[in-house]
Amino acid sequence: MKKVKSLKDAVNLINDGDTISFGGNVLHRAPMAAVREIARQNKKSLKLVKTAGAQDIDLLCAMDCVESVDAGFVSYETKYGLANHYRQGVQSGKIKGNEHACYTVICALRGASMNVPFMPVKGLNAGDLLVKNDYFVVVEDPFSGEPITLVKSIVPDVAIIHVQECDENGNAIIYGPKFEDILLSRAANKVIITTEQIVPVSRIKLNAERIDIPGFLVHSIVHVPNGAAPASCYKKYEVDDKSVAAFIKMSSKDEIRAYLKAYETKDYLGERMGRRL
Amino acid sequence: MRTEGYRVSDIMTCCISNMLQDNETVFHGVSSHLPMVAMKLAKSMHAPDLVHLNIPGGVNPSSIKHASYSSAGADLLGTAEAYFPLEEVFDLSMRGKLDVAFLGGIQFDLNGNVNASVIGDYHKPKVRLPGGAGSAVLIPTAKKAIIWRVKHDKRTFVEKVDFTTTRGNLWKIVTPLCIFEYRKGKLHLESIHPTSSLEEVRDNTGFDLIYDEIKYTASPTNHELAMLKKIDPYDFRSIEF
Repeated sequence: MKKVKSLKDAVNLINDGDTISFGGNVLHRAPMAAVREIARQNKKSLKLVKTAGAQDIDLLCAMDCVESVDAGFVSYETKYGLANHYRQGVQSGKIKGNEHACYTVICALRGASMNVPFMPVKGLNAGDLLVKNDYFVVVEDPFSGEPITLVKSIVPDVAIIHVQECDENGNAIIYGPKFEDILLSRAANKVIITTEQIVPVSRIKLNAERIDIPGFLVHSIVHVPNGAAPASCYKKYEVDDKSVAAFIKMSSKDEIRAYLKAYETKDYLGERMGRRL
Repeated sequence: MRTEGYRVSDIMTCCISNMLQDNETVFHGVSSHLPMVAMKLAKSMHAPDLVHLNIPGGVNPSSIKHASYSSAGADLLGTAEAYFPLEEVFDLSMRGKLDVAFLGGIQFDLNGNVNASVIGDYHKPKVRLPGGAGSAVLIPTAKKAIIWRVKHDKRTFVEKVDFTTTRGNLWKIVTPLCIFEYRKGKLHLESIHPTSSLEEVRDNTGFDLIYDEIKYTASPTNHELAMLKKIDPYDFRSIEF
């Protein structure tokens, strides 16, 4: 089975209404080229899941692709300020903001990876998050009789993870922080890898014990150099300050459409390189 | 805000540093430059065996000088001693083995309720805030939870929070004006920064202050200020001001 696909074909696997989870954390190694392609293909009613998101969530909220966001934190970091499209979407009632405690997203994904309907979570035992959200329930521990909070498992239909290296079978290596990406690859029904580099099978085999996501878990692979930009990618590039700062200032969909258009050549670069191979 | 060669950000960083003890395991998250610098200061002064944990998973990064726009970036792992990622930091706290966690928040009340979620109704908020990140599980489970906030006004310190993201088990709240300590279910005014006054704290706090005596936060020492210059030459500790 040929797993290496064009960005368009890989993103086309996503259906309206799907639960989608992105790898990385805030402005680090987020699969931004795939996020941009989701916006270009005008996917609708997506349910986004991430511990801590930034431009990935904000951009899709801006383009009306999102029905709900399950996250512990949605914001750029200090320097870039708040995720205003996400905020406005939630404030207007268009988007459901399901607040988690980061760890409860992790536990919900752990539940998915083990195929159990919920996970017990220690710690979350007070406050309004428990009251206002139907994905948290406090029950009596049948063994001790003490109260324990359960979080409903979240099974992403599709996880999209950007990595530095991957072979044509999907064996992927993440350099630097892995964030929740390994768990994510085990929790989702379908894993799409976008990669800086597609390396020969024989070469990645030399580092078999370093592989974070084995190929048999991976459905599709897309070669996208700079695929995390304007987020950072360890050992490859830093945050593209200009691009993030420009995006933060955009308020209309037309401006953002032009921003997406300006990325097209870069986002489709890997395909052209692939055709030459 | 410069008084006698130090600023409010220096006072906040130094007083937080002095709350940390040697051998403690300490965690900071995203958008947390000031506590990150405070941890590094403590480690460079009185707490060499403090264990610095963070989101990218870098245990004891030898340098924090490259964490310019982010306190969750790969640079903290690049110079680290070992890899211990976020989900394991959470598990550690759940096991009762995280000594100190640094957390944020937008609104706080006298009873120690913390709001990092919304202003107004949760389901249709007037303002959707970034969210409490790990607060709701870390504040109840870390041995000591320190909150820092660079704003101190009546919209921040309110009679009653709009939404309780989490509550209880706070230890300290450090602001540009003072330090609160959470004791017996209430926030107590612990000390006023030398750059502020009781009147200023009172005028900017939306609840009646509780205190036994008026104490002042220690001024940063010359040694501390010199060390700050060395470990934080780009002044990340002031990024939120």
